[in-house]
Amino acid sequence: MEAATHSNKSSTGWRVMKLYLHSGLGLTALMLLVGLVIRAAQANWVPALSPGNFYALLTLHGAGMLVGLLLCGMGGLWFLMRRHIHLSAPLAVLAWGFIMLGVVGVLVATVFGHFAGLYTFLYPMPFDGNWPSWATGVFLISMVLVNIGWMIWCFQMLGAVLRAYSGLRGALGWDFVWHPKAFLAAGRQPPPPEAFPALVAGLDGLVAGMVAMLLGMALLVRWLDPRVLIDPLWAKNLTYFFAHTLANLIIYMLAALIYVGLPYATKRTYHTSTVLVIGWWSSLVFILTNYFHHLYMDFVQPGILQYLGELSSYLTAVPVTAVTIFSALMLVWRSRTRWTLGAIFFYSGLVGWVVGGIGAEIDASVPFNVHLHNTLWVPAHFHTYLLGGCLLFVLGWVFLLLESRSRRNTPDLVRWLIGTLVFGGMIVFLMGFYFGGALGVPRRYATETMPGPLLAQIATVGAVIMLVGFILVFVEGLRLRRNYQADRPLWPEELINQPHEE
Amino acid sequence: MTDALKLLLLFAFLSATTVAVFIVVAWSTRLPSREQSEVQHDGYVIRGRWFIGVTLFLLATFVVTVPFFPYLSAAAALEPAEKVPVIAAQFFFTMPDHFPLNRRILFEVTSRDVNHGFGIYDPKGQIIAQTQAMPDYVNYLAVTFHQPGHYKVRCLEYCGVGHAIMEKDFTVGNDDTGSSENGKAANPGANKESNNGNTNGSSNPFE
Repeated sequence: MEAATHSNKSSTGWRVMKLYLHSGLGLTALMLLVGLVIRAAQANWVPALSPGNFYALLTLHGAGMLVGLLLCGMGGLWFLMRRHIHLSAPLAVLAWGFIMLGVVGVLVATVFGHFAGLYTFLYPMPFDGNWPSWATGVFLISMVLVNIGWMIWCFQMLGAVLRAYSGLRGALGWDFVWHPKAFLAAGRQPPPPEAFPALVAGLDGLVAGMVAMLLGMALLVRWLDPRVLIDPLWAKNLTYFFAHTLANLIIYMLAALIYVGLPYATKRTYHTSTVLVIGWWSSLVFILTNYFHHLYMDFVQPGILQYLGELSSYLTAVPVTAVTIFSALMLVWRSRTRWTLGAIFFYSGLVGWVVGGIGAEIDASVPFNVHLHNTLWVPAHFHTYLLGGCLLFVLGWVFLLLESRSRRNTPDLVRWLIGTLVFGGMIVFLMGFYFGGALGVPRRYATETMPGPLLAQIATVGAVIMLVGFILVFVEGLRLRRNYQADRPLWPEELINQPHEE
Repeated sequence: MTDALKLLLLFAFLSATTVAVFIVVAWSTRLPSREQSEVQHDGYVIRGRWFIGVTLFLLATFVVTVPFFPYLSAAAALEPAEKVPVIAAQFFFTMPDHFPLNRRILFEVTSRDVNHGFGIYDPKGQIIAQTQAMPDYVNYLAVTFHQPGHYKVRCLEYCGVGHAIMEKDFTVGNDDTGSSENGKAANPGANKESNNGNTNGSSNPFE
């Protein structure tokens, strides 16, 4: 057992996950600091930051944060799936390499080139700014590189899932749902729960990636030849289709960590059920169709798409709450959960997912969107589920792994301190966005002229408190890591049995 | 009660309910534990009801919100209105400074360069209508001002370093001069497509 554990710990799969998680969390930490500077600037506390630099940092923050969390989701899901199916580690490293090249390019374009076309780079904005043309080119090429890395990962994941589960029909669990008796009588097993986020990420991610590639090529041609014109509405649809789908997929990928991590924390089991499968079928569709809510205020958009956007955005909540969230609550209810930091992060991440979703659903209601579109309500809801959902899921996963091998436990006082600082600060930080959004404060203003800088100042204080909490989290993580017990089996035990280890 | 407060209360109520449910479930781990099969037996019944309940609620909400959509039917678009072209550009709006009270205004909103937002704030500082200002396209937004006073237009789509200072003040009053001389329709030949939006005080979902 000991030898197997040791072998597992130093295995290729383990190293690939660490590569993704370390780079993803490192990038996320850097972007948290950039975000703090941005919010402090809106609070009039960074007078030296010019509007040009503010928007360059905003561009960096948006792109960097999405890629940072995306890397965490990719690494975590890849590792979990590698327990079941064959996934090539060199291919995963290649995908990571493309993404990191893109990250370096975005850093160069924004920090040195002052590119400030934002991470949404809505056409024709990238070509109408006061930054050098080379910065636009570097930024666009960098985003294409990120997309190439993403598509390699999606190709690999989708191909491996389809091969392992007898094609799309098997991977979707079609026979398991419609012919359960015959399916089970034949001795067949449905794919494990984490295979469904893998399938959805691979399939939807590939569709989004191809759309992004089309847009990226069009923009690069426009960059090379300014005479080329692109239809702004076409570009806007493609931009939001890609950006929304990618941002959505991050949290759906991280749901796989819940499916494996929460049963461990609650000492219960979680298996594929008919409800889970049907829930993921609907998510497969809704993830691709609810981006239309980004174009509610584009009245030239075909009307039917606006109705579809609201309906799809609403119904997205059904599989999330009825399957993943409800199942998680059932796992915890009257269980023997030990509330370690890992379990706390996982569980609070679920709260962040739901609360962020409520904010999103309100914004996705067309009559409310008239009052909220492109106000601070938008960053309010996506910060809630990216910061209060995705990031906490990743931290939950990391801490469950650390806690499982460390001979130390986190003292109660430290848990309470971390909880108070992280969640208290996060609530104050997020409420600044929600209040601002409800008051109609536009998003992406270098200085918040209405109702004044007070909201941004309160939010900045909240952000500082939250970051102090995250520093404590980091220190506690290091402490647990230093106290590893060499002969303690690595959790989860199934990790020991990696049939496809190279 | 202001619109902002109503929105926040709605959000706070739903969020607080969510947090309360999670706290109760977390608290349950202090009670004697139950077998997972027992929990599942009861849980699946509740989940079935939740699934039906939340689906019906969301579908009903969709139906209820449809009448408040700002998109006009073809017939409504032909209703009498004073047409007012609005041209957005980095970082200003070209449009009249004054509008009459209680008269239907049809803003024809376009952009000369990048994407902008055209958000109208009433004298209380609340957004009462908005649409995007896009190059190559015209978005038609119908608004009837029922309240006199000082209004402001703000850009609600990031458009460059001057985004935060891109705004335009105008007044609304009984004196209906000012807008009529500028009330010619924008040249639709320069644009590919158009569609309409409508905002009227009486169609505000908050009211």
